[in-house]
Amino acid sequence: MSFMQPSPVKYACSCGIVNPINKLFFCRHCPKLRCGYCVSHEVESHFCSNCLENIPSSEARHKKNCCANCFDCPCCHHTLSARATTVPVVRKTEEPKDGESAGAATPPPASSKPSAVPTTKKMYYLSCLSCRWTTRDVGIPDQGVATGTWPDNECLYQARFNTLMEYYQSVVLQEKQEKQEFQRRKAPKAHKFPSLTDRTGLTVSLIRRQIGWSEKNVPKTKPLNITPAEAISELEDLPQDIFTQPINLRNITTVAQRHSQPADQPTAVGNLYPQRRSLWIKRSLRCRQCEHNLIKPEYHPTSIKYRIQLFASYHVPEVVMVRLEHPLEAGQSNAILLKLSNPTMYDMTISILDEKPTEEPQINPDEFQATCKIKEEAVTSSPLMKVAALARQTLTKEVTREVRDVANAKIKLLESEFVLNQRDDSKEFDEEVQAQTEEPNFIVWRKGNKVLLRLQFTPAAELEVNDVVTLGFFMQYTYVNTVSNTAEKKEPTTHTLSSRLFIDAGRIEKGN
Amino acid sequence: MPLYESVIQEKPPIVLDIGNAYTKLGFAAEAHPRKIIPTTVVLSTTSETKRLFDFADTTEFYDQIVDFLQMIFFKHLLVSPKERKIVVVENIFGQTVTRETLARVLFKHFDMSSVLFVPAHLISLSTLALPTAVVVDIGYSEVTVMPVFSGVQIMPAFMDQSYGGSAVHNEIKRQLVASGIKESLLTENVLEDIKVRVCFVTTFERAQARLKGNEPQPTPSPSVDYPICDYDTIIEIPGIVRETVYEIMFEQSNERDSLPHLILRAILECSVDVRRALLESIFLIGGGAMVMGLLPRLKQELQHLLETDAYYKDRFHGEVEFKFYKPIGKENFTAWLGGALCGATDLIQTRSLTKDAYARNEHVPDWTNLCDNRHAGS
Ligand SMILES: Nc1ncnc2c1ncn2[C@@H]1O[C@H](COP(=O)(O)OP(=O)(O)O)[C@@H](O)[C@H]1O
Ligand SMILES: [Mg+2]
Ligand SMILES: [Zn+2]
Ligand SMILES: [Zn+2]
Ligand SMILES: [Zn+2]
Ligand SMILES: [Zn+2]
Repeated sequence: MSFMQPSPVKYACSCGIVNPINKLFFCRHCPKLRCGYCVSHEVESHFCSNCLENIPSSEARHKKNCCANCFDCPCCHHTLSARATTVPVVRKTEEPKDGESAGAATPPPASSKPSAVPTTKKMYYLSCLSCRWTTRDVGIPDQGVATGTWPDNECLYQARFNTLMEYYQSVVLQEKQEKQEFQRRKAPKAHKFPSLTDRTGLTVSLIRRQIGWSEKNVPKTKPLNITPAEAISELEDLPQDIFTQPINLRNITTVAQRHSQPADQPTAVGNLYPQRRSLWIKRSLRCRQCEHNLIKPEYHPTSIKYRIQLFASYHVPEVVMVRLEHPLEAGQSNAILLKLSNPTMYDMTISILDEKPTEEPQINPDEFQATCKIKEEAVTSSPLMKVAALARQTLTKEVTREVRDVANAKIKLLESEFVLNQRDDSKEFDEEVQAQTEEPNFIVWRKGNKVLLRLQFTPAAELEVNDVVTLGFFMQYTYVNTVSNTAEKKEPTTHTLSSRLFIDAGRIEKGN
Repeated sequence: MPLYESVIQEKPPIVLDIGNAYTKLGFAAEAHPRKIIPTTVVLSTTSETKRLFDFADTTEFYDQIVDFLQMIFFKHLLVSPKERKIVVVENIFGQTVTRETLARVLFKHFDMSSVLFVPAHLISLSTLALPTAVVVDIGYSEVTVMPVFSGVQIMPAFMDQSYGGSAVHNEIKRQLVASGIKESLLTENVLEDIKVRVCFVTTFERAQARLKGNEPQPTPSPSVDYPICDYDTIIEIPGIVRETVYEIMFEQSNERDSLPHLILRAILECSVDVRRALLESIFLIGGGAMVMGLLPRLKQELQHLLETDAYYKDRFHGEVEFKFYKPIGKENFTAWLGGALCGATDLIQTRSLTKDAYARNEHVPDWTNLCDNRHAGS
C-alpha cells in the first residue's frame, strides 16, 4: 500500500478521535492510545531550518525567535543568499581624495591615479534566487561580511512606547497601593473596642517610628507624568497627482508584504527590508494523564532521532487491509482479509469483539482528578504549601468525546481468540515454515509475527450504490508492559487492552 | 517590583488580537506584534483553508480554535502555552460563544495559567495616554464606534455597521463585474489586493461634484492594468472604480447610517457635557483606517453635516472643529498595542481570570472584563 494514500484502517484514540496508527502514540504508563490532539505539546529546542544551527532558548527569546545569520526575501519569503562582489580598493596614497575614507564600497573613478596599487575587497549583498530581489534594489549598502549588519526594521516609536509602558506600570502600581492603604485603614473599624492608637491619638506610623520600626508603607510611588497625544485638525490630504499620474503596481506592496514587516508596514516596495528568518522548533509530547513524555526529540537539529518515542505502531498490533473476497453489495455477506502484525517482543492473544470489553481496572481520569483536588485543598491551607501546589503543575484534562460510530456492517465474530507471535527479527528471513499447529479456520496463513485473518461481515441492507462501507470492531489484545508505575514492581505486567477500529472497506458496487 | 519584572522578561504574557480577517500576535511589553496573519485555519482533516469564525457548531469551532492556536504557539511564537499568561483583545459586544469557547480552549486544551480579556476600543486609547475619545474601529466585517469618557466606555452609545473591509471588496466586485470583468477572476484575495494597492478615498469636492451631477464631471484617476497571475490574465481597473468604491462609507440614506452619521449619532448618545470633548477627539483604528484619503474626507463630511444638517445643527451648538488622533504604530494593530501595554502592568496579576477561578464554574464571569470594574473592588 502506498504511504501517500490515507490508510483505510483507523484506530480510535482514548480521547475519542479516530486516526491511522501512524498518527498515534502509546503511553505505556497509562497504558492507552494517545494522539496529537490529546497530548500536551511543549517546545523542546529552537533551531534555524536554513543554517541548521541550534539556538538555546534564552538566546532565541533574546533574538525574538529569529536566526542571527539567515534572511528571508521580503517579497516572496524565499531564503536570501549572500552574493559576493569584488570591488577595487585604492590604497591610501600621499594625497587623500575626497570620499575615499568614507567607504571602500564606492569604487574610485576609472581615471584614478595609476600610482594607487589596485587591490580588491569582497563586498556582499543579499539576493533572492526566486524573485531576484536584492538589497541593492532598496538602496541598502553592501556589507563587508556576509552576515553583516543588515538594517533591522527598527521601531520608530519605541521610545514613546517605553514611556507609555512605564507610565502605566506606575499608574497601576499606585492604584494598587491606594487600594491596600484603603483596606488597611478600613480594617481597625472592625474592632469592638477602641484601640490603643485611637485613645492616645497616635497614629500607627507614629508608634512604629517611636519604637524604632521602619515606616511600614513603602514610599508612595507617584505616577510618572506623561504628555498625552494631541489631536490634530490638519490632516494629510491625498497627493494631488493621484488623479493624474498612472501608478506602477510593481512599486506598491501587497498586504502580505506589509504584514510581514509589522512595525512599519510600508506601502512602497522600496521600504522593504531583508527579514530575519524565523526559527523552527522541535517539540516534545507529554501524556496529560500521567505527565510522562511520549516523544522527546534529540537535541541536535540535524538528528531525526528521538530520545523517547512511544509511537503506537511499536506497541499496538497493526492491522492492514489486504483485500475483499467479493465486490461490496448491500446486505450480501462478504469477507475481508486483514493482515495483523505484532510489533512487540511478547506474544499477544487477540480477539475480535463487537462491543467494548470490560477492561482491567485502570486509573479513572475523573477519580484521579478528584483525588488530586482533595490533595490540593488539603495543602493549600498553608501559604507555603500553596506555592508548592502551584509549582506542581497539574494538567487540566480535556473532556474525552464519544467515538463517532460510523460502522454500517455486521461483523461475524471469530469462534475463538488467537495468538499473534512475538516479533523476532532474527527469524524474519528464515525460509522454513513454522511447524504447522492446528489453526482456527479464520487464519489464512501465519508467518513470524504476522497473521492473515479472514473476517466475515455483511454490509447493512439499506446501503445504496456508492455508499462507503465501514467495518467497526474492538480488537482486544494482551500487552506485556516492561515499565511499571510503582518502583517496587520490577516484573513486567501483562495487561489486556482493547482498541476500537474502523475500516473503510470501499464503496457499494451493486444495488440489490 | 523587581520580582515581577524578571517574570515578565522570562515569560512575557502572550498578546492576541483575533480579528475577523487578521490576527495580531506577539508578547506583552513589545512595541509591535511579532506577526500579523490571516485568521484562517488549515483543517487537519481535509487540509482546506477555512476562516476561523466560519463554523456550524461549537465543537467545530472549538477544534478550529485549537488548530489555530496550536499554529500560533508552535509556529509563530515558539513558546509552550502551558502555564503561561495571555491577554486577549476582544470586541466588547462580541458573541459570548467566542469568548467562552476561547477560554475553554485556553484553559482545558492548552493549560494556560490565566487570561485577561481587554476590550478593543478602550484599550486602544491607552496607546495615546488619553482617557477620552470616540474610538472608531474599521475592521474587516464591521465598523464600530465607541465613545470613551474618562476611561469609561459609554456602552449605550456603541454603534456598528457592516461597511468594513469586506463590504468594500463586494463593492469592487460589483463595479468590476458591471464593467464586464468575469466574476470568477475576482476572488477574495484579488479583491483585497485591488483594494489595498489601487483604491483610495476621494476628496469631498469630487464626491460632491459626482453626487450633484455637476458639469463638467471630474476626470477619474488613470486606470490600472492589473495582472491576475493565477489565471494568467490582465484586467483593467477603471479610474472611477479606484476612486469610488469607498463611497459606500459615505452614502446618503434616510437611515443616517453612513460613517459620519454613525460617529455623530454615537456622540449624541452621550450626555451633553461630554459631547464637545468627544467631537475634538476622534480616533480611527483598524486596518480599514489605513486607506489614503480617509481622514481628510471624514473630517470634511463631519464638518459638512454639522453645518448643513438641521438635526445636528439643533443639537450641537456653536463652532466645532473636528480633531483626530494619529496612532503610534499602525492603525491595524493599535488595539493589540493596547493589550501589549496592559499586559506589561500588574493588571495581568490582579485582573486576569486564572485557571483555578475558571475551573470552579467553567465559565467566564463578566468581571473579567477590565472595563466593568476599573474601580470596583475585586
Ligand atoms: N497594512 C494595511 N494597509 C492597508 N489595508 C490594510 C492593512 N492591513 C489591513 N488592511 C485592510 O483592513 C481591513 C481590516 O483589517 P483589520 O483591522 O486587521 O481586520 P480585523 O477586522 O480582522 O481586525 C482588511 O480587510 C484589510 O484589507
Ligand atoms: Mg480588529
Ligand atoms: Zn487522542
Ligand atoms: Zn540560520
Ligand atoms: Zn524573493
Ligand atoms: Zn500516560
